[in-house]
Amino acid sequence: MDFSFTEEQELFRKAVREFCEKKIAPFANEIDEKGEIPQKVLEDMASFGLLGITIPREYGGSGADFITAAIATEEIARADISMATAVYYLVEAGWGFLINRYGSKKAKEEILPDVTRGKTFLGIASTEAAGGSDVAAISTMMTKEGEKLVVNGSKTFISGVREATKYGGGYVTVVKTSPELARKGLSLCYLPVKDIPGITTNVFKQMGRDGISTGAIIIKNVEIPSHYLIGDWNRGFYYAMEGFNCARPLVAAACIGAAEKALESGIEYIKERLVFGSPLAKFEGMQFQVAENYTKLESARLLVYKAAWMLDQMYANNRFSHKEINKAVASAKLIAPTVAFDIIKDVLIWHGAYGYTKEAGLEKGLRGVASYIMGAEGAQNIMKLIIGRELLGKEFDPC
Amino acid sequence: MVDIIVCIKQIFDLGQIKVDATSKRPITEGVARKISDFDKNALEETLRIKEKHGGTVLALIGGTKEAAKEALAMGADEAVIYSADTDSLGTATILAEIIQKMKYDLILCGEASVDEFSFQTGPRLAQALGIPVLTYARKMEIKDNEVIVERNLETRYEVAKARLPALVTVTKEINEPRIPTLLQILGASKKKLTEISPAKPESGVETLSITAIEMKRKEVILKDIKELARVVISEKS
Repeated sequence: MDFSFTEEQELFRKAVREFCEKKIAPFANEIDEKGEIPQKVLEDMASFGLLGITIPREYGGSGADFITAAIATEEIARADISMATAVYYLVEAGWGFLINRYGSKKAKEEILPDVTRGKTFLGIASTEAAGGSDVAAISTMMTKEGEKLVVNGSKTFISGVREATKYGGGYVTVVKTSPELARKGLSLCYLPVKDIPGITTNVFKQMGRDGISTGAIIIKNVEIPSHYLIGDWNRGFYYAMEGFNCARPLVAAACIGAAEKALESGIEYIKERLVFGSPLAKFEGMQFQVAENYTKLESARLLVYKAAWMLDQMYANNRFSHKEINKAVASAKLIAPTVAFDIIKDVLIWHGAYGYTKEAGLEKGLRGVASYIMGAEGAQNIMKLIIGRELLGKEFDPC
Repeated sequence: MVDIIVCIKQIFDLGQIKVDATSKRPITEGVARKISDFDKNALEETLRIKEKHGGTVLALIGGTKEAAKEALAMGADEAVIYSADTDSLGTATILAEIIQKMKYDLILCGEASVDEFSFQTGPRLAQALGIPVLTYARKMEIKDNEVIVERNLETRYEVAKARLPALVTVTKEINEPRIPTLLQILGASKKKLTEISPAKPESGVETLSITAIEMKRKEVILKDIKELARVVISEKS
């Protein structure tokens, strides 16, 4: 067993960290306050090859594996602990990978180069008003009408709605194609949203992670070309689950990146801050918290990179079953947001009243990470159901 | 077409070095290494010259494979690494011995390494090779087989030129070094990397110890803003 990254991965982490410190971190407060990632930041990320990083070179990507993609996620979240920039990056990395894997050649040629150039946004539209976790209950319908596909329904709590309508782009969208077949009657399509007749959107005010919007998409008789069907008809549930398995380790990596940065800054702070004539760090109570938080963070980090490694092994060497991948990914996604939230909360408290200010820059991390405790990219209880199902057997699956 | 050799030193990342509270000595254990800042500027400048004029860039690195991989990822065509546990005279002697066997039009160095700041290696190397040297370049261009540089001499800028082959040392202000992308990093592993072990020359200077200077605040308590103003004015004058 070897826990080390390759020389290339280490060098990439160093390069991404330098890039993020220069090109993202200076804008972190602005991103949170203005609720938008400056276009220049996105352009720089595209030039540096971060957008759509898992997409193959022929479409302008870097063809990165998931360990490499996770390294970049971690580093981006360190630079912008509100998580907004990391989320923009990771949805494209996760779902861009899926489009490349199952999308038609024509669709890939149309969609992916603009994503990797940073010209358009690519996201995932799965959740509906009736629920996000219960994928089988999705009611947005897609029908075949001649050479076209027609979509009707609505999606909500979708990341990047404002960005997709501003810059262009669209969503890997989960739709029902055979209602009688429940989850086996789902398909995936690519749904563009900018200037598309029948599409209306609205954006919600959020608690945090404001640099990337969250909103709703109302879809009324929207016609899309048949080559926007992703993969086979009625196989959408399986593709969507695979896509979530690709995106979730990156979500978890973003959480640990934000928490790492917070913990590092907290450690520096308690070494300097004098209380009763001694640095805070001299108090055993503080040392115990440092040790506990470090240990929790390392545990989460190991699960994240194990999940990413298993994904890479599955795609490159056909190792590991989907059941094993499901369990590893769900474990990483289960632990990372909670650990990150707890760490950032502790560090915020170490800073006393200053920690409660915007100036300290910690509260935006707390608000951002909370989105993944709420359930973005898969609710925590769903992660538990997945792990439980894989451990107990399918016959105990309540869904 | 300009064939360029860029001399690079790998140093400890000084930002990560902590000082032992008792001995005041730097603790280097576990500290990451990096390409010395001005040497990275020199590398960046060679890449810009190559992009404009064509030619090749060979990175000659006192350090490890890690630094070589970074230089190759940034765009150097080839790297040679050697061990460089010596002073400026020793380093210049080693470099001259290696470079004498090579074909080149131009040699670039950082104005100094940010760990030792001797400012000597570049000029000593030029001396050993018998070629002109232009130090402290903040701008440079290649024209008609000559290198023209604008030198930062702190109180003034001086424009000077030299025929090629020549050696130029550059300042930090000359450029902002590029950061290699993932594809460039992956591509670097396909480039030529040679490791050599030159004999260690006699050192002219031997460093006996390095200790941190103790920085203490004056801890002067002033009564009001007027007193503060008086102190500032008196310290300024």
